[in-house]
Amino acid sequence: MAEIVRGKGVISGIAVGKIMLAGQNLDGYLVNYKAEAVETEKKKAADALVAVAETLRESIERLKSQDMVEQAAIMEAHRMMVQDPMMAENITAKVDETKSAPHAVLQAAEDQAKMFEQMADEYFAARAVDLRDVGKRVAKFILGVKEPEIGDEKVILCGREIEPSVIAGMPSENIAGVILGSGSTTAHAVIIAKARAIPTVVGLNKEDRIDRISDGDHVILDGERGEILINPTPAECAQYDEKIKKQQELAKHYAELKDLPAVTTDGVKIELMANIGSHMDVDNALTYGAEGVGLFRSEFVFMGRQDIPNEEDQFKAYKEAVEKCGGNLCVIRTMDIGGDKPLPYLNIPPEENPFLGYRAVRISLERRDLFLPQLKAILRAGVYGKAAIMVPMIINVAEFKKVKEFIEEAKLELAHEGKTYADDVQVGIMVETPAAAIMTPILAKYVDFFSIGTNDLVQYTLACDRGNASISHLYNHFNPAVLRLIERTITSAKEAGIWAGMCGEMASDPLAAVLLLGMGISELSMSAPSIPRVKEKIRSVSSIRAKEILADVMKMEDADEIKTYLQKVLD
Amino acid sequence: MVQETTTIENKTGIHARPASIFVQTASKFKSKVQIQAKGKTVDAKSILMIMSMGLVKGTEITLIADGPDEAEAVKALKELVDSKFGEE
Repeated sequence: MAEIVRGKGVISGIAVGKIMLAGQNLDGYLVNYKAEAVETEKKKAADALVAVAETLRESIERLKSQDMVEQAAIMEAHRMMVQDPMMAENITAKVDETKSAPHAVLQAAEDQAKMFEQMADEYFAARAVDLRDVGKRVAKFILGVKEPEIGDEKVILCGREIEPSVIAGMPSENIAGVILGSGSTTAHAVIIAKARAIPTVVGLNKEDRIDRISDGDHVILDGERGEILINPTPAECAQYDEKIKKQQELAKHYAELKDLPAVTTDGVKIELMANIGSHMDVDNALTYGAEGVGLFRSEFVFMGRQDIPNEEDQFKAYKEAVEKCGGNLCVIRTMDIGGDKPLPYLNIPPEENPFLGYRAVRISLERRDLFLPQLKAILRAGVYGKAAIMVPMIINVAEFKKVKEFIEEAKLELAHEGKTYADDVQVGIMVETPAAAIMTPILAKYVDFFSIGTNDLVQYTLACDRGNASISHLYNHFNPAVLRLIERTITSAKEAGIWAGMCGEMASDPLAAVLLLGMGISELSMSAPSIPRVKEKIRSVSSIRAKEILADVMKMEDADEIKTYLQKVLD
Repeated sequence: MVQETTTIENKTGIHARPASIFVQTASKFKSKVQIQAKGKTVDAKSILMIMSMGLVKGTEITLIADGPDEAEAVKALKELVDSKFGEE
């Protein structure tokens, strides 16, 4: 019998592969490190510097061959830090002090980083991040901790925390599964995994279960049951082969639905669109039958880099996504980042409540150096298809008016620079705060559309942190308070003659889709692999039946009662 | 020994990308190459030393080379700085 580790399955499917550990904490390795004679330690440090410089050189070549010039330049700076005469000198001095090569490397990098941090210039201060990164890399080499380097083999990524950019930066075909120690179903790493239909299990930090999984282990990951079988027996492998076969049959059934429209039995059509994290996800989304993109999270354009992405880089990414959508809509959400995802060039001090803090449009409106290039890039991309701008985190009308002023300014600049842009790009808001939902009758006078972002709307309405496992039972999109805000938003849109859609996790719940249909929603955007499931449900009901179900539900008092009722009448 | 003075004109100063180009260029020469600014003199082949100087736009720097290819070294580096590292 294989050892079974249990977590919470968040993206179903079965994955078979070798474990690759990512995002390690070095403390454990450092404690167990046995240092040798001082001279040997000095040599180890020097050899590590040479070896790391060589791996960096290889990845620089690879990045260059893939046309990722900016990233190659950053890696080049890292390589030079590794080879720097001053760095080598400082490390040698530190070995004399600490008698240990990895400790010396980390401390030397830390000292250097501190020096940079104290500099008056914001840019140089931010270089501290690079130095710590470099120090960690060299220390890892000495400690024998492997870098997550993807080969040809399919791997299952495993870590207590995995940076969203780590997953985003890897080609989908190389990641068979994801195991995350921390987290909830809405952690950002999970959201990306979902867009790519990678089977995922989370929540293994509990009782340190994640530590039972080691690098290189052969495992079967069952995303449905949240189980991980470590080094399975041949009998277990055979049993899972059967399951994988069934999984493929279901996939085939869903593939048949791909080109059919999402219409109810009485002819009401709903647009089913995809949520994507990067322009590279569009092709994958289209294979599931997505009719455009309802949410392009532009954060990944901003993450994993050292400075503000310029207009040209953003334009290229947006243009590709818009073009690939054909004549369908591609809704691009402007930057939605805050203190929870610190970026070196934003310089946001740590906040006690980042989700209630300086984030998203609140930053955009104060940072024209950030906001204008993004708006200009989207307006230019609009020429290549049908783009829309969606503004997150709006709480009042004044904010939206300011956004409109920025857009006018962006157009003026583009005209002045002689660049072509689309004048008819729709501008709407993400309804994700209770304040916005309540104010939708007024906001509807100014916006072109509403898209309901349920992940945050649920969290803000119920005062319930979506990442906190001990209150996750309270976090429920069927909560009557949440349903009332959603209904209000859709009604306000209808009365004003604009469209309302949804781009949160709720949109991928087939039971919820029926309720939303009853409310009169016109678009649902979700992670692409959920589209067939939702489509199948919509095609099985009539809009009249959906309205009846909605009327019953709106009389009910709590979320569980609603969910049980929906399962009874719809499953 | 050869030396020449110039001013940094590119918008972002000598940050990571220009600094790495600068060091790569300096490292091509056998001569000892130094950069002098704000009353400090540092090794022009050390990216950390250069970055630690905080060379922002408008800083006046002196390039000093000493060795067999000193003239070429100073010429190449001055050209690089004056070309604003290919930035706008």
